[in-house]
Amino acid sequence: MNKNKWQSIGTVLGETNIDHFYFSLKNYKAKKGDIITTESKIPSSEGNIVPVTVWGKISSIESSNAFFPTEAAQELTNENIDIRDTILPTTRDELICKVIILGFTLKDNLKLMPLNYPVCPASTVSYPSSEDVEALLISDLDSDHPLFIGSLLARDAVKIRIDADNLVSRHVSIFGMSGSGKTVMVRRIMDELLKKQYPMLVLDIHGDYLGFIQKQKKLYPDNNVKLFYPNLSVSSEDKEIIYTLIDKLGNTLTDPQKDFLSSLLEKVKYEGGSLLKYIELLARKAREFASDSSKSFKNIRPASMYVVVRSLGQVAKKLKNMEQTNFRHRQKMSKLKFEELPDAGTEPEKIIAKGQLSILYLKGYENLPASAIVSILLENLFRHRQEVEEEIPPFLTIIEEAHNFIPSRSEDKDHLPSVETIRKVITEGRKFGTGIMIISQRPSRLDETIASQCNSQIIFRMVNQKDQRATTRDSETLSVDDSKQLPNLANGQGIISGQVVNFSLPVQIKFDAELINDDIGNENFISAVENWDDKDSVKQRKKFAKDFSNITSIDKRRAN
Amino acid sequence: MSDEIEIKNKIKANSSLFTNFVKNAVTASPKVQNNFLEVSAQVALTVKKIIEDANLIMDLDYKGKDFWLENRCKTSCFIDGGVDKTSIISSAPLSIRTGSYIVKPDAEDKNREFFEESMVFLGDLYDPKNELYDLADDDFEEDQMLNKKKDGARIIFEAVTVVKHILLNRKFDYCFLHGPIEATVMPFTVMGFPTFTKFAVENMLPFYNKNRLNAEARHFVNVYLEALNHIKKSKFPIYGIVETSVSAPYIKNLLYSYKTKGIISDKDFKNTLATIKKYKITDSHLLEIILKSGQALKPIEIKKQIKGFSVTSGSAWEDKMDSFPDVNMGYIKTTDHSSPIRIESLTSSKNIKKDYEYILATARLLPNYGFPVGLNVVDKFAKIPNWMSKVSRRYYATHLLKQAVKSKDQNTISLAVKILSKKVRSWRNRPLGGMAK
Repeated sequence: MNKNKWQSIGTVLGETNIDHFYFSLKNYKAKKGDIITTESKIPSSEGNIVPVTVWGKISSIESSNAFFPTEAAQELTNENIDIRDTILPTTRDELICKVIILGFTLKDNLKLMPLNYPVCPASTVSYPSSEDVEALLISDLDSDHPLFIGSLLARDAVKIRIDADNLVSRHVSIFGMSGSGKTVMVRRIMDELLKKQYPMLVLDIHGDYLGFIQKQKKLYPDNNVKLFYPNLSVSSEDKEIIYTLIDKLGNTLTDPQKDFLSSLLEKVKYEGGSLLKYIELLARKAREFASDSSKSFKNIRPASMYVVVRSLGQVAKKLKNMEQTNFRHRQKMSKLKFEELPDAGTEPEKIIAKGQLSILYLKGYENLPASAIVSILLENLFRHRQEVEEEIPPFLTIIEEAHNFIPSRSEDKDHLPSVETIRKVITEGRKFGTGIMIISQRPSRLDETIASQCNSQIIFRMVNQKDQRATTRDSETLSVDDSKQLPNLANGQGIISGQVVNFSLPVQIKFDAELINDDIGNENFISAVENWDDKDSVKQRKKFAKDFSNITSIDKRRAN
Repeated sequence: MSDEIEIKNKIKANSSLFTNFVKNAVTASPKVQNNFLEVSAQVALTVKKIIEDANLIMDLDYKGKDFWLENRCKTSCFIDGGVDKTSIISSAPLSIRTGSYIVKPDAEDKNREFFEESMVFLGDLYDPKNELYDLADDDFEEDQMLNKKKDGARIIFEAVTVVKHILLNRKFDYCFLHGPIEATVMPFTVMGFPTFTKFAVENMLPFYNKNRLNAEARHFVNVYLEALNHIKKSKFPIYGIVETSVSAPYIKNLLYSYKTKGIISDKDFKNTLATIKKYKITDSHLLEIILKSGQALKPIEIKKQIKGFSVTSGSAWEDKMDSFPDVNMGYIKTTDHSSPIRIESLTSSKNIKKDYEYILATARLLPNYGFPVGLNVVDKFAKIPNWMSKVSRRYYATHLLKQAVKSKDQNTISLAVKILSKKVRSWRNRPLGGMAK
């Protein structure tokens, strides 16, 4: 550290403690979020007095001009007077900064240690050089595998890195409003992890990560990037999930009808494979039972059985629709090669492998089927990590729009099968190397147990107070001052806290423009309408519409 | 027990006193108030006639935005002093500073405004090495004398600050002092009021009587007079501005001049003065009724130091009183709802209307308080804040106790505790009866 390069920017005020202090700041010499230092002394365990450098982060700045009376403002406004024409003072702003103490360092050792003696009032506050701040952050992070994610919000020159080991094992949550920078952040982390050959599975609802496929050859020649579409394949072990799917997607069933469905699932054996085929088989068998006067189901009336048959038909129809919607979306991106999701139970290595990024494209699927697919997939992968053979390496699961898979209890969607699965994976995942990253714009709608298991948080702009409260509730390291900053963050600006950084840091995330999916477009709907031209089929319909309309208008005869 | 029941019980217990107390409030007090209003109104009416007769009322023009656009090139200086009032029996710490706020609105940012700590003194009045006053040989020195010393020091410091600006050839268009341009010196003429040290006078007025700085020359009266004589010679206008007038110098002098002209009789003059004194009627009271917002009273010459008056009578300084310059005193009613402010200067201005309009405009920037905002600014700058005084008192107390404890003598410790608890015997700390918490 070269302290000669540090600029003096203020003086510590009055009362101090070991958590925070206030200082008077020279005009324009520091900003909120800046890291500053002050020299102090602490007693050592040997009874000596040791000089230390105390590091802190400016958590808030208040400016006041005691020489500018409020009533003067009233007169200036009423008379439309420019303050600069009057004798009123314009340069005596008093800036008071609140500093959250990060810890202290000893001479020649940049490892931050917790402060246990108050900062000396009236000491000078310094603005350390960018190199020294970066050196401190790196040294304090003490990471074998740092991931570069951006720069300190207040100082562009200070590059910020987070600890990859904690990231992939201790779970991370990324929250923020739509368009605040969550996806940019995830892409940044994925980019870094891909370079480290770390396997990842992305549950992508909107196709935000398809850019990785498009740019794979150019940017990640050493990686394997796979794009899967869901295959609703089930095995006999997934009976509970199948039952929930039919129960929730189909007609509402009465208790006897539910009993029949349960018994049906027990009786109709299935070796495993397409869920759709299984449901069609169930429907066929149910019809048979209903028509042969139900020798096997003496207590259930055929009418009840037919209700179940119709319900199964409805479920099958819905599933087909969802498959077709997903197919249509895939077709729009004809340049991309989509593969059917392999059976995670029997071929997990096709989904999770060293250096591979697997993206499961879920667009078009409703919550429940998507949840079922994810639940079955994660259960199987987790089982493989639990087994002694360890057929697949440790991996990170990235769950986009997480509130669809792990809704809060208050959402009354407890039946979603993915909730239980992800709860299990996130609780035990640390032991088995199955880290989870949850991404959501509505943290207040997430399952509390799962959210609180995330030991690190990356929070972007957030205006909704309920979501802000949920964020601070789930985080052990995000301060109230940090949460106050959330509504004012700009795009790509976030606060990182938790075990990936040791202390919370406001960060400008590096934007990887090359990772955007070119086929998705930029949501510029006004231009889309300006350049709109009807398709041929629409033009034809319009051509005849007027003629038909004329016929209708002259037809005065009363209908029979 | 609820507050209401408690109050009712208290009233019951003190029923006779309470009844009389209320009776007095609803009968006697309003009578007195009515009488006061009646007398004030009558005096005001008479004074108004005289003021109108003497053509003393000036209508000032205030044009808000246009005024400031025209006057943005003017440099103004605002001066105020602050003094720390802390004292405990064992010591009399004295901290004084005078601040100047100098502003030229149209100057570039870095030259637009300056806050200057013009004079600073930190010391203790009991310190033999104290370099402000000579130590007085007075065993009965009390708070009153200590306060006088502090006030005297502040008045001198403020005057000397003005002199300093004059000597430094500062190019001001206006200079304003928070307070009277010439204070009444009477309180400092009492026997035993110490002289300033040679060192202090040399520092305050380096040009003053270099060859013969004897005790007489170093007395407050002489040093202050010297400073005032310099202020009188200033090339730029200097005004002292007083927020509230607690006496009636303007009215009394106006009546006196009419008496000398023979327009009012000796008897009427004396009786009216007696009424003014009896009812404690002040210039502010009367002029608040007489003047409208934006109106001013032209300045009249007033003698501030009256020979033979009260304490100065028979004092060694009695003859000196005539040497003090007369003060030009006027008033401006800056807003409808604030009492007029008193304007004092040692010279008469050729542009009195313009000068007063400038003062009015600076006061209009505080539309409720109605006092020149520049003086409000410098007041905040120069004032020694309470927290500073508290810290200093705490420091003195801790230091004293430490010394006492160090001596290990029980009597010394007990004395120190007594000294520090001087203020404990106050009405707030009277012992409570019964189940006091």
